[in-house]
Amino acid sequence: MSEVISVVARNGAFQKTMITENFESDNSEDDYSMSDINDEDEDNMLDDDGEEENNKATHNKRSTKQNTTDSEIMTPGELITDDPIWMRGHGTYFLENKTYSSVAGTVSKVNKLLSVIPLKSRYAPETGDHIVGRIAEVSNKRWKVDIGGKQHAILMLGSVNLPGGILRRKSESDELQMRSFLKEGDLLNAEVQSLFQDGAASLHTRSLKYGKLRNGMFCEVPNSLIIRSKNHTHNLPGNVTVVLGVNGYIWLRMTTKMDLARDVPPGGSTQGNGMSSTGPTGAVSLNPNSNISITRLEEESSWKIYSDENDPNITGAIKQTISRYANIIKALAFCEIGITQERIVLGYEASMVYSDVGSLIQRDNMESLSQEILNAEKMRGNAV
Amino acid sequence: MTLSVAEKSYLYDSLASIPSIRPDGRQQHQFRPIEIYTDFLPSSNGSSRIIASDGSECIVSVKAKVVDHTIDDDLLQIEIEISGERDDSLITESCTSLFNKLLKNIDMKKLQLTKKYSFKLFIDVLVISSNSNPVSLISFGIYSSLNCTLLPKLVSNFDDLEVEELPMFHDYDLVKLEVDSPLVFVLGIVQNNIFIDPAANESEVANNGLMISWINGRTIAPMRTFALNDTNTKGFSPKLMQEGIKLVEKYAPDIANALQNI
Amino acid sequence: MSRFEVYSPEGLRMDGRRWNELRRFETSINTHSHAADGSSYLEQGNNKIITLVKGPTEPTLRSQLDQTKATLQISVNLTKFSKFERSKTTGSNKTERRILEIQTALVRTFEKNLMLNLYPRTIIDIEIHVLQQDGGVLGSLINGITMACIDAGIAMYDYVSGISIGLYDTTPLLDVNSLEEAAMSCVTLGVMGKSEKLSLLQVEDKIPLDRLETVLAIGIAGAHRIRDLMDESLRNHAQKRITNASKR
Repeated sequence: MSEVISVVARNGAFQKTMITENFESDNSEDDYSMSDINDEDEDNMLDDDGEEENNKATHNKRSTKQNTTDSEIMTPGELITDDPIWMRGHGTYFLENKTYSSVAGTVSKVNKLLSVIPLKSRYAPETGDHIVGRIAEVSNKRWKVDIGGKQHAILMLGSVNLPGGILRRKSESDELQMRSFLKEGDLLNAEVQSLFQDGAASLHTRSLKYGKLRNGMFCEVPNSLIIRSKNHTHNLPGNVTVVLGVNGYIWLRMTTKMDLARDVPPGGSTQGNGMSSTGPTGAVSLNPNSNISITRLEEESSWKIYSDENDPNITGAIKQTISRYANIIKALAFCEIGITQERIVLGYEASMVYSDVGSLIQRDNMESLSQEILNAEKMRGNAV
Repeated sequence: MTLSVAEKSYLYDSLASIPSIRPDGRQQHQFRPIEIYTDFLPSSNGSSRIIASDGSECIVSVKAKVVDHTIDDDLLQIEIEISGERDDSLITESCTSLFNKLLKNIDMKKLQLTKKYSFKLFIDVLVISSNSNPVSLISFGIYSSLNCTLLPKLVSNFDDLEVEELPMFHDYDLVKLEVDSPLVFVLGIVQNNIFIDPAANESEVANNGLMISWINGRTIAPMRTFALNDTNTKGFSPKLMQEGIKLVEKYAPDIANALQNI
Repeated sequence: MSRFEVYSPEGLRMDGRRWNELRRFETSINTHSHAADGSSYLEQGNNKIITLVKGPTEPTLRSQLDQTKATLQISVNLTKFSKFERSKTTGSNKTERRILEIQTALVRTFEKNLMLNLYPRTIIDIEIHVLQQDGGVLGSLINGITMACIDAGIAMYDYVSGISIGLYDTTPLLDVNSLEEAAMSCVTLGVMGKSEKLSLLQVEDKIPLDRLETVLAIGIAGAHRIRDLMDESLRNHAQKRITNASKR
């Protein structure tokens, strides 16, 4: 394969795997016979499948497989239960005392709440989520923020720290200069403060760990790959910090003093574990060794927090490392592997054999890198 | 795509630095990986589907028809449709006019059947989604669909000027169409750096874009500059143009090779 | 045409099927994960259809905003190369009356089936590209949309499966191709899940009323089979994803 371009090619097919290969049964005859349609009980699935009897082995295999998965996978219109004690959550509907699934996904039963979690959907915000968003619109006393959800989230002018300290009252002049704080296209990280009736999120950035994002690069992955955890900001080896938004938006930046102050030990360990359990976040738990303290909060929340200027000290090496991390995250997403800080660090170590960061965008390399991450994870898991 | 000011300046500084650092770590000459599927439409003579790693996708169909070239000498007709754009939108029209010019480089002799009749090729391009300028993807699509185009085999006489008969074809034998089709390369310019195949975020900060066409070992007209975004566009030194042409001449054969080996 | 017999005395159709046989039916989802929230690719006989679902998402125009439910938009692109003979019309065919009619029929069918009230103030945009058509397109479009909406995770009451049935003399022919479609009266059905509820019924030619019932019966049975095939393909896909996820 040339290093100029890598190509996956196939002749005579629309996609990589022929559709037929997805089916377990090999359909020697192309048409599905409807021969016994008139005299059969139409609800009887087995009878319907009966025409594939010439293929008994595969047929049996499939039907047993279906039996084992039926309890797990639900498809739209499928009866989940006729027991009325269940409360009906998302992904279900209720008709004549019976609960049906409205999406394709897996059943989740929490206490008495029954819901079906779809295989894939747009990000659904929950209170407390740490997200990364992009300003889509500036309107009356609020910003609308694209968070990859069904609707834009709302960030009220009153939910941000304004220059001049947190205790300052907001004034009319603030309303008029909202664009000088945040304007269309600006990226920020924030917390979901509450949800509106219709499911839209209301955000706030009233903590020093939230706010406008600088000094780095944005990348996006499917939101299902980000697992909610206590901490979504991680300092990584190589002087890089990652903000893993629950909504699948990710920000990679050069580690700043603030980031170092947040985590103990600073700089991020290459051990890759235990870090998320240490280091409570936010302004109150700043490391006493650092030169930022709560008394300087006011100073920190000056105009600087809305600056568009990047740190002039970002070196080429750091930029390379940021690109490397971005490619590792894309590789994990490509292989549909959940993205955690541990895996990113493992990926960083494993990626060192590729001295050329650009080679990590190739399919084969992405696959082998992901495999190595999973292997390394298994090894660590056994060691503990 | 709107980027924040901080993002833009980060990208711009990275791309402008020497050596330049691309956001995905690519080399100056490196393309993003693509997937190609060909010959999946049985009712077309040739078809292809190209997908870039960012999800940009383009489908091309080639259909042939026998025409009397003494009457209709326009043997190639191309129509481009970009999903989400009107047929008379700027981007659709500029793409169509570009490819109309480019396809003049295809050797029409290859389409001739007899002294009187020729195949006329209808090339339909459907861009299903595109995150950056689609011309490169379209040219790859046309290239690979022409590369897999099969035409009926002629069995009647080549010299039919005097005789009143229509060309006759073999019942099932097909011949492969052997034509060289042009490729278009998009290059992005940031300060004194030039790089091939700019991604969406690179396009957003590029000072200028360069479109270079190439066929069978040489660069050809049209070659044009175009703005990749509305905000950052500036002039550039002619030296960069030469560097761009050199880049294309050096690496285009690799691309053509990659597109052929299906 | 005259060389072929639409339905031979031995009970065989032009493509060798019997009266009650479906065409090859294959479908896969999540085919365009970068370009859309939900996507499907469907082959029903020689129909090849790409369906992309974008949304539910914030509408770009105020006029698309409905406080109570999601706005559903469907655009069908029958490509010029989709038929055996390339369509000769110059310019766009998007405003053609037939296509507008198809779009309206599809919106009406799916407005009832998708739980749009769960997504107020949003828009769901469905984009369909027909790469190749060979009869019974409307039914195939319905199947493609159903699969793509499931992939997008949009809540719905049940599968809608679409199918066309022709009536040749007194014999109903299931899942007609384009030659059969041209030669006889046809009915297109959209059937809700495994029920006998119709969410779409389209008859474009004359059809004897006393035959309609048998036509509907075979159509519903065929639609149920299609539903099962879609369900099977979906479960296979879901199984793969879940096994993949358990590796995490």
